[in-house]
Amino acid sequence: MTSIRSSLVAMLVAAFTLVSFLTALLGYRASMEKADELLDAQLHYAATILRATVPVTAERSPVPTEGLAFQVWRDGALLLRSEGLEPGPFTALEPGYAYANFSGFRWRTLAMPAVDDTWFLVAERADLRYTLAERVVMESVLPLLTWLPVAAIAIWVLVGWGLKPLRVLSEQINRKASDDLSPLDFPDPPGELAPVIASTNALLARLSSALQREKHFASHAAHELRTPISGLKVHLHNLAGDLEGEHPSLGHIRADLDRMQHLVEQVLDLARTQPELMPARFARLDLHALAERVTAALWPDFVEAGLSLSLTGERAPIRGDEGMLETLLRNLLDNARKYAGGGEVEVSVGPTTDGVQLRVTDQGPGIAAADRQRVFQRFYRAGAGGAGSASGAGLGLAIVLQIVQLHGARIELGEAAPGRGLSVMVEFPGEGAQ
Amino acid sequence: MRILLVEDDLSLACGLVSALGREGFVVNHVTRGNDALAATRAEPHDIVVLDLGLPDMDGLEVLGALRDRGDHTPVLLLTARGEAGDKVVGLDRGADDYLAKPFDMTELAARLRVFARRLSTAASSQVVVGPVVLDSAAHAVTVDGESLSLPRREYMLLKALMESAGKVLTRSALENRLYSWGEEVASNALEVHIHHLRRKLPEGFIRTVRGIGYSIAP
Repeated sequence: MTSIRSSLVAMLVAAFTLVSFLTALLGYRASMEKADELLDAQLHYAATILRATVPVTAERSPVPTEGLAFQVWRDGALLLRSEGLEPGPFTALEPGYAYANFSGFRWRTLAMPAVDDTWFLVAERADLRYTLAERVVMESVLPLLTWLPVAAIAIWVLVGWGLKPLRVLSEQINRKASDDLSPLDFPDPPGELAPVIASTNALLARLSSALQREKHFASHAAHELRTPISGLKVHLHNLAGDLEGEHPSLGHIRADLDRMQHLVEQVLDLARTQPELMPARFARLDLHALAERVTAALWPDFVEAGLSLSLTGERAPIRGDEGMLETLLRNLLDNARKYAGGGEVEVSVGPTTDGVQLRVTDQGPGIAAADRQRVFQRFYRAGAGGAGSASGAGLGLAIVLQIVQLHGARIELGEAAPGRGLSVMVEFPGEGAQ
Repeated sequence: MRILLVEDDLSLACGLVSALGREGFVVNHVTRGNDALAATRAEPHDIVVLDLGLPDMDGLEVLGALRDRGDHTPVLLLTARGEAGDKVVGLDRGADDYLAKPFDMTELAARLRVFARRLSTAASSQVVVGPVVLDSAAHAVTVDGESLSLPRREYMLLKALMESAGKVLTRSALENRLYSWGEEVASNALEVHIHHLRRKLPEGFIRTVRGIGYSIAP
């Protein structure tokens, strides 16, 4: 992941370095020209002094010098010179500045004519000139380079300071709980962040009102659907009482009404157990005690269906939402009752090494391995349309899955015995794990 | 038996009035909470069937107002909300029973008959399951007409099971009925009592539901 701060700092340091070098380069060239001019003027001055102060009449012995060379010629005769020069003029006898190579070095020369065909030649070693000029230039450029790391640190700190509002904003968004849809609280945001904050808040508001509508739908639909169904049931009861004999339609209406009631309850359960909609009210509870209550409540239905129901296991403390877990157990047991066909349905609850395990097994036909993922889809019914398929909307396991996920649990379908029966296993994390 | 029905849904109320009339109840119907409070003040009712979602006030407020002024008429709550929390709150506020919509008419009638039995103490103190008759007024149990003498805890156990015949009572529910809070209960005390009871009762009368509890077939 790239960081705005790092890339900003890298770009700024690069730009700063480039500009510094360009400035240094231009400064170097300007300084060199200036130094050249100055040194040339000095050379000219030296020649002038030589001309003015040296009354040359006859040949003299050479004068020792360092970095500087001179010759005085008259009518082709060398009158005066510095030590260590080869014979002959070291530069052409033309007035003005030039470069010449002699005595093993490169020189800057000046030839200055005087009366009586007298030439004053002065020369300065070019390399010494450059060294001097370079030193002058480097001393003005070097500080720029040595301070570059300091500039980089300053840029790092300043960029960080400049990005502070962004950091504060991201921390605030990070800290928000998953179900907290309140607007971001960012008084006086910088101009760049204002639109981000405004549109994020608008999005949160839209999301929040959509969820509110869904929540209202779930609880209002509950009331609005259950009451007319109650009315229908009561009127059907009255009608059945008034009719002489059992009209064949009565049974169908009753069955349809039961189906509708079941579907309404399941759709409401589906809405109620949606994590975005309903925050679970988690509390400490004993899953075994809950299973005892639910199995006891459902036992008459099992007896009526010719099934036996039993519970095994021991105290199994978990953290969970009691109402939802009851719905989970009821759905699993309703499925077992509907599809088992006969035999024994067994519920076992107990602690494992790292949590609590709930297992519901039956002796029915089971679910083919290929179908075991699909049965969790909404409105999917195993063996739908097949002979003996039980009524139901196919929402039970979708609801179970939602509740399982909400509790951070894991669900697995398998065989109760080799090739027979269904085993539904739900593993809840232990109390400490949540 | 006079019932005050407080229900704002007219179709449901109309059906209930006729269905309960058929069961032999006299039903007064009002649709608003305030009317319900006025009606209970004006004349005594034996039972109030109270819907929780009323147009003018919440059913729980009606219940609260009723209890606050010392009216202890039995109240059965009807609710379409069906949240577990509502049930607890309703019973905490002094409701006597609770039924979630949509309910079966037979279930409502059965619950109301339980109230009625409680009100007219004498006649209905007998519970009969097969050959066993338990008379809670006389604390007497007979099997095929022969009197059976039972120790207190065994009697309480049999009474609880017979009153819930057809249902299964969990071990913890039975233990709660037999022993008060804090009383030391041996882990097999319940089994011991059941064992003794079974020896005195017809074969297979008390059924064990493995891991869950005990039951008596109706």
